[in-house]
Amino acid sequence: MTGTITKIAAVILLAGICSCRNSGPRTGSLSFPVADSVPAGEAEKLSEEALADIVQNIASPVEIASVLQSMQVPFSAGYLAPTREADRLSTNFQKAVMLGIYGADLGYLNIYEKTGNSVEVLSTIKRLADGLRVGQYFDFETLKRLSVSKSNLDSLLFLSVNSYNQIDRYLRDNDRGSISALMIAGVWIEGQYFATQVALNNRDEVLRDRIGEQKIILGDLLMLLRPYSTSSGEYQSLFSMLDQISRKYADVRVSYRLGEPETSEVDGRLIMVQHEESIVEMSDAQLAEIAEMSKEVRNKLISGI
Amino acid sequence: MKNRLLILSLALLILPVMAEGQPATDDLVSSCVLSAGENTTYLKDFRVQLPKASPGGTAPVYKANMYLMKNMKYRFSVCNAPGSNGELVITLYDQGKELISSYNRSTGKKYSTVDFICNKTGLYTIWYDFADGEQGSGVGVVCMIR
Repeated sequence: MTGTITKIAAVILLAGICSCRNSGPRTGSLSFPVADSVPAGEAEKLSEEALADIVQNIASPVEIASVLQSMQVPFSAGYLAPTREADRLSTNFQKAVMLGIYGADLGYLNIYEKTGNSVEVLSTIKRLADGLRVGQYFDFETLKRLSVSKSNLDSLLFLSVNSYNQIDRYLRDNDRGSISALMIAGVWIEGQYFATQVALNNRDEVLRDRIGEQKIILGDLLMLLRPYSTSSGEYQSLFSMLDQISRKYADVRVSYRLGEPETSEVDGRLIMVQHEESIVEMSDAQLAEIAEMSKEVRNKLISGI
Repeated sequence: MKNRLLILSLALLILPVMAEGQPATDDLVSSCVLSAGENTTYLKDFRVQLPKASPGGTAPVYKANMYLMKNMKYRFSVCNAPGSNGELVITLYDQGKELISSYNRSTGKKYSTVDFICNKTGLYTIWYDFADGEQGSGVGVVCMIR
């Protein structure tokens, strides 16, 4: 009952927030020329199709954190990227990657309900989003209020994930797919960092499977970034670093076992259990190498290399 | 001339107020997230607007691809915009094979949410269309079940 009331309160609050945002100057401030480091044209044309196909939820800022929480892994502030360096980020490339990284950090903080600690991350995200001229999708004041009051986790989770989705949608709709791809790469590498660091100290099959399956997702992420990889040294370097992680996955095996799905109706809701299964084979040594390389790449990215 | 100017001025004053009163898609997303129920975390929304199917033609479809992960439970909710003629339907496909749909075409039964307990990580295709090829608009929300 309390949960329902909380959810209703969340929606009323969110409806208010959304209405306010819709009625604000947002639409008027949307059309502006932005000089990203990849010129719209060659790379954009090719990538738009790829983006449409593979971008949806390639890396969610909350899924990995949710897996860690369900494993009852304690929260560790040590996994978070430091925010002190954010002000010296000068290129759109750096800002976009870090926007993704901090987005995953925010998801981690929110899932663990460490919302009081998230104000610094929130203000950093706001500065980066403004720098990329997508700050209009990030309602800093409301997020900050929800974080500080710790009153409504559902609203906070919805609003923060929705902000990222809206930024992503806006970037793709406005020929800035290269920036969207960087943000996605940032979310992915930070989630990968959390997962691999935890897996080194906690033997959990679900988490190992999740890390092993990133072989498939990383392949698609590389496909997403490939069109931009020759456009500048920064893109080339990112592509090359992610490719190095991909090479560590070369001998990880993902196979499939067939099975017929089972459908039932419970309390008027249709539920399907999938019995076809993906199976990951990954040794401890492979995991250690993947974890090491993922950490190296993530640390290079947050130090602006 | 004077009347036309007056009408134009009135229209300019009234139209934004009318637009303000229209339910925004964002509001529909929020209420659709609520309809997903407790213990869910929002992941993605899809805003769907489709025309009526042409006579004898197939129903227009909005398709999206999404990674779903093993050991995760997902809830797909559909919500119709006020004034939508058609009822939004979600159908989940894996490599062209239909897995689950919120509309049972043989019995005519419709569900506002469907749950998918995923055991195979991969790229799935989500189809959104309106029942019986009607014109419509609505929102599809994907949440994970905690």
